[in-house]
Amino acid sequence: MIINYIKIALRSLLKNKGYSFLNIFGLAIGITCASLIFLWVEDEVSFNTGFPNQDQVFYVPTNQNYEGEWRTFYSTPGPLAQDMLNEIPGIEKATRSNLQEILFAFGDNSITRRGRYADEDFLDIFSLKFIEGNRENAFTNPEAIVLTQETSEQLFGKGERAIGKVVKVSNKDNYLVTGVVENLPKNVTFPFDWVAPFERYAEGEEWMTFYGNNFSDTFVKLAPEANFKTVDAQVRTLIVKKEENTTDYAFLHSIKDWHLRSKFDGGEIVGGRITYVRLFTIIAFIILLIACINFMNLSTARSEKRANEVGVRKAMGSSRGRLVTQFISESLMLAFIAAIVSVLFLAVLLPQFNLIIEKDLALGLSNPIHILALLSITVICGVFAGLYPAFYLSSFKPVQVLKGLKVSEGSASFIRKGLVVGQFTISIVFIIFTILVYQQIQHAKNRDLGYDKNQLLSMQIDEDFIPKFDVIQQELIRTGSVYNATLCNSQLLSGGNNGSGFTWKGGTDTEDVLISFRNVTESFFETTGMEIIEGRGFNKNYEIDSTSVLISQSLAKMMGNENPIGNIINRGDGPLEVVGVVKDYVYGDMFDSSDPVMFMNYPPYARYMFIKTKEGVPIDRALSDIEAVLKTYNPAYPFEYSFVDEAFDAKFKNEQLVGELSQIFAILAILISCLGLFGLAAYTAEQRSKEIGVRKVLGASVSGIVKLLSKDFLKLVGISILISVPIAWYATYSWLQDYAYRIEIDWIVFLVAGILAVIIALVTVSFQAIKAAIANPVDSLKTE
Amino acid sequence: MKTKLLSLNEATRTVNSGSNKVTLLDTINLQVNEGEFISLMGPSGSGKSTLLNCIGMLDSFTGGGYTFLGEPVHSMKEKNRSKLYKEYIGFVFQAYHLIDELTVWENIETPLLYKSVKSSERKALVADMLDRFNIVGKKDLFPQQLSGGQQQLVGIARALIGNPKLILADEPTGNLNSKQSTEIMELFSQLNKEGVTIIQATHSEQNAAYGSRIINLLDGKIVEE
Repeated sequence: MIINYIKIALRSLLKNKGYSFLNIFGLAIGITCASLIFLWVEDEVSFNTGFPNQDQVFYVPTNQNYEGEWRTFYSTPGPLAQDMLNEIPGIEKATRSNLQEILFAFGDNSITRRGRYADEDFLDIFSLKFIEGNRENAFTNPEAIVLTQETSEQLFGKGERAIGKVVKVSNKDNYLVTGVVENLPKNVTFPFDWVAPFERYAEGEEWMTFYGNNFSDTFVKLAPEANFKTVDAQVRTLIVKKEENTTDYAFLHSIKDWHLRSKFDGGEIVGGRITYVRLFTIIAFIILLIACINFMNLSTARSEKRANEVGVRKAMGSSRGRLVTQFISESLMLAFIAAIVSVLFLAVLLPQFNLIIEKDLALGLSNPIHILALLSITVICGVFAGLYPAFYLSSFKPVQVLKGLKVSEGSASFIRKGLVVGQFTISIVFIIFTILVYQQIQHAKNRDLGYDKNQLLSMQIDEDFIPKFDVIQQELIRTGSVYNATLCNSQLLSGGNNGSGFTWKGGTDTEDVLISFRNVTESFFETTGMEIIEGRGFNKNYEIDSTSVLISQSLAKMMGNENPIGNIINRGDGPLEVVGVVKDYVYGDMFDSSDPVMFMNYPPYARYMFIKTKEGVPIDRALSDIEAVLKTYNPAYPFEYSFVDEAFDAKFKNEQLVGELSQIFAILAILISCLGLFGLAAYTAEQRSKEIGVRKVLGASVSGIVKLLSKDFLKLVGISILISVPIAWYATYSWLQDYAYRIEIDWIVFLVAGILAVIIALVTVSFQAIKAAIANPVDSLKTE
Repeated sequence: MKTKLLSLNEATRTVNSGSNKVTLLDTINLQVNEGEFISLMGPSGSGKSTLLNCIGMLDSFTGGGYTFLGEPVHSMKEKNRSKLYKEYIGFVFQAYHLIDELTVWENIETPLLYKSVKSSERKALVADMLDRFNIVGKKDLFPQQLSGGQQQLVGIARALIGNPKLILADEPTGNLNSKQSTEIMELFSQLNKEGVTIIQATHSEQNAAYGSRIINLLDGKIVEE
């Protein structure tokens, strides 16, 4: 019996090539699209799963209250880790840790690598596996450093033994390699290439041992038998026990949530990437749904052709159940063919998709889970798409269909119309959402940043660079390619150091205000293009300018004074005098207003150099000029740099991803819907060929007939527009709520999307309509 | 004495057309014995096809009694009814109604599939049938590749494959030319001689003459026997 079904399915497939193509192609696109999303989702949820002890490893962030609002930071006081270990039963391991990017040199080879200064427990918390050396002796030497295999190979060469070798770090300190560990698993939220004892980092920095300064990351591992709730409750009360006059509290953030649930608001987890994972999973199912709808529509539309077969089979003794089985096997077979086609699509599209999402996803057909997933999608689609047509077709009464009576279409045509409306509604929602996401990104990108991000290079520097800066700056300008250069303690776009506890005259609760610090050189404002709107800039000689500060406009506003110049700001280490006000600039979250900033003329804290190249100088020439200068004055360091405008663009990665994916889905949804519409239009034209023939004989014009045939479909699209507008509005409105700096939803967008949908539908339908309209009526009338 | 195959007792078939009740078959009383060859005659719309369909259980009477091989069809459940006609009734249609996507062999085989006959047995039965109808050479062709007469031959072969007691033929020669018609009618009378009961609906006096009994219908009533 099954063989019989397959045979007949294959034959009817070949007989109706156009219809089969529409069906298979539509379904294949749907499956491809869903598979891409599921691969992405699989990758997203795989983060940090490479570490064992999933239930026991936690980050310890702190919640701090500023101006009545709880804000979450990943930095903690230095002694917290040790105190947790000592005082909270259930905490088995704890480590301080600080992320640093440092320069390694061995022989002629020098590389910059990101890693962590940490306590010994770090090695256990992340279950590092030693290839060379061992866990016990890794941190016994204060000059020790443990490298990942990859770093070791890059530094010493493949197959070279690393242990016992001495590397030069930051061009001055010697580190002894005491171990090489296996590379980290793929997809780690906080990757590192090396680990060295925290003491080395904290050497001579007395303040790191007190509460009151939040600077260190803290990671802990709970004992297997420990109860999360009990431990977390104790963690939350620890800081207030140790530090006076604070409401800060730490809490546990599970390794399982680091990647997907790391967005905090008001001190609580409010989501994170999980939102996108959920959103895209829903979208995957919606796309599959659209593809299945196509299948149903085309199947029921062709029912007249199948009706006769149903009648004969029933007369031959087939039960309804057997017909249902037959039709579902047919749709299953189509689904399987579609799945095979989609694997081909995937092979072609995956590299492109990887470029967009900046991942390295693989089809992984040898992975049984992937095969199983693909099979399930196929079977579910096949059965789901086949179910309605199967029950509809098998309901025909043999007496009626064999007599050649028209099948009464009532419910089927209503459902079919409903399905078309459903498809177009989804498509239009995608179009609107895509446009608005792009508008939002452009809106944020075009906002006044308060500085000029173009032609601005950023480089990481070490302490030994700072005394040489004046000379280097002069030399750089002398090349003619460089406009100016400056130093700063943080990247232009990131939050950097901050602190609170300041007081000034006339302000209340001023201790509560969180202020970012920028330690810069005098040339900072000119180099970055920030505008000093009041007062003066810094003095070239920072030593005589050590108590002067420039403040941002928003801080000046907070001070409330008509003339902020000359105001005194107090903190523990003495009064600071406001000498100038800088126009507010955007850093950190590009979609939000930034915290107030205080600039200090103190280059020794600098970690970055910014170089502004001259307008009109080709960037290649500027770069080679800069490299030449640095090779001369800073020979130990490789010439590594980044562009601020590129870093700026990278800030929009999430939004860009949402925008691009939404665009792809919009196109696919439209494409699949159009395939369906095309098939339906063809069917309708065929169905009404006699009517068209009669009308033409009676003198109807071609355009009149095209109008007649297109009208019904346009009505459906019209209804779709009406339904989709509120849905799209709500979706974008909710999405935009995440952004403080956001667009107003413009009604023009809805209009544009609507018109677009109408045009697309019209083009799709009119092809068939015109074909039917210009046909010779003699042919259509004769065949009846 | 002849065995009774089926009997209709005041059988009626009505349909609702809008608010009107239309009577298609009006209190039909009919008894058919095994081995009979009955020709139903009457003008278009007189109820011939409806009567055939109702006897064939594709349709059902809305009133009166219908007994087939001693079993009361009118009070039977759909499932048992389907079992009954699968077992004992074969259909031949005016428009042949072969399945376009199946070959001659497969078309003939179809009823056996629905009776869940084993594969080896199916092969033997179909081969026999092809042999008997002299269409072995056509077994792999599709219906469109055959002439009308040949298609109807396949249609009859398909009706016979389940070894039914009763063949219901609705205008079996309506789409054929006179030579093909004669061949088909000859075949029917041959089958009848072999013991198959046949009820055919026809417009043609000539074809009707092949029957052993002619029943005339007019407006859903038997007017003359």
